[in-house]
Amino acid sequence: MKWSQFFNTSIGKKLLVGATGLFLCSFVIVHLAGNLALLKDDGGEAFNIYAAFMSHNALIQFLAWGLKVVILIHAILALQLTFRNRAARPVKYAINPGNQTSSWFSRQMAIMGSILLIFLLIHLKDFWFQMHYGSLESVSYKGEEYKNLYLAAQLAFKELWLVILYVIGMIGLSFHLVHGFKSAFQTFGLNHVKYNGLINFVGVWLFGILIPIGFAIIPVVIYFK
Amino acid sequence: MEHYTMNLTLKVWRQKNTDAQGKFETYPVSGISSEMSFLEMFDVLNERLINEGKEPIAFDHDCREGICGACSMHINGRAHGPWAGTTTCQLHMRAFKDGDTVTVEPWRAGSFPVVKDLTVDRGAFDRIIEAGGYVSVNTGNAQDANNILVPKDKADAAFAAAACIGCGACVAACKNSSAMLFVSAKVSQLALLPQGQPEKKTRALNMIAQMDKEGFGSCTNTGACEAECPKEISLTNIARLNREYIAAGLSYEK
Repeated sequence: MKWSQFFNTSIGKKLLVGATGLFLCSFVIVHLAGNLALLKDDGGEAFNIYAAFMSHNALIQFLAWGLKVVILIHAILALQLTFRNRAARPVKYAINPGNQTSSWFSRQMAIMGSILLIFLLIHLKDFWFQMHYGSLESVSYKGEEYKNLYLAAQLAFKELWLVILYVIGMIGLSFHLVHGFKSAFQTFGLNHVKYNGLINFVGVWLFGILIPIGFAIIPVVIYFK
Repeated sequence: MEHYTMNLTLKVWRQKNTDAQGKFETYPVSGISSEMSFLEMFDVLNERLINEGKEPIAFDHDCREGICGACSMHINGRAHGPWAGTTTCQLHMRAFKDGDTVTVEPWRAGSFPVVKDLTVDRGAFDRIIEAGGYVSVNTGNAQDANNILVPKDKADAAFAAAACIGCGACVAACKNSSAMLFVSAKVSQLALLPQGQPEKKTRALNMIAQMDKEGFGSCTNTGACEAECPKEISLTNIARLNREYIAAGLSYEK
């Protein structure tokens, strides 16, 4: 079987969506770890040095472009599958079972994913674009010049609407990952009584609760500072 | 449980044929015994319709003992009605109260076109089975029993998968009209046994190709199929189907 055939079936596409999804899960952990430097009360030194490292290190630059490709593959294939899934039922039911037969989270993956995608575009425009192509003020630590992305974040999150938008984005992330993380394992065929509990626990508590709260807390704290 | 009689309002999907526009018709039914099955209640209604010179409601039914999978009714938003692990014929009227309104729809999926009223064409399932849901056996004398050893746990898991009656409730219940639970049961019952090994790779690949071709949606692991399956086929079968697909797809040479 050719690779192109393997990834062109419904299961093949789902495998790609699951693999890219888990890669993105690993990314949010790293991203949050770095972003927490925004809460450090040092005038932005730790965060700005971290941001400069992330935008200059060759390996990280390679991963950063790979990340954008991964996001595109994840979004395009998932949307393609979603449209196909919707088309599979041309006449809808008059009465739907709601939460009686499946969890609410599991039925909202496309909606939550779309919210995340829109959030991501706004987020990239606000910070990534500013860092790479915008004009940020300079700040120097120990004689070295750094772009002051820290200041840009401090100013941006004085806007209430942007803070609300970020919190909504993180609710989208939470609801998406509560089902998404464990769903990827099932798609890979990894369903085993010994590990299901752990996978579910990590999906709900780490990716569904802890990480989204960690992200959301940053704009909220900056707003009230 | 105490016996009682009830009056119900039925809203039933009526559709002349596959191409016709269907709509709900409302039928009051009275004096229904709580000990009747849901299909017997339909028999009472149809008898009345026939006596009134009207067209009876077409619905699939065969064994009426929960093992054939014919009775495809979506009742109040649930495949085979509100009880878990039951077909429509095994759903009894004690599941309802006097004065209830009960809405009955056919399975809704593009791959299961409505033939008439509540009857749908599940030929897509037959074509998936034709694509690989079998073992090729040479003719000749039967082998000795126990010639090929099968571990008990494998035999049990294969038997549990083989309980699938191909009713289509998984497709009907899935928000994506996915047939993955059906296909996974049919692949698993053979993949778990030594007799299924020779055709293992082509079976998984061909049945999935046919499943996609029939226009079923893909699985998003919501679990609605498992919740509605009258034979309580487990989602672990879908994980096995995914493993079968990965193993076959990565190693099949053609």
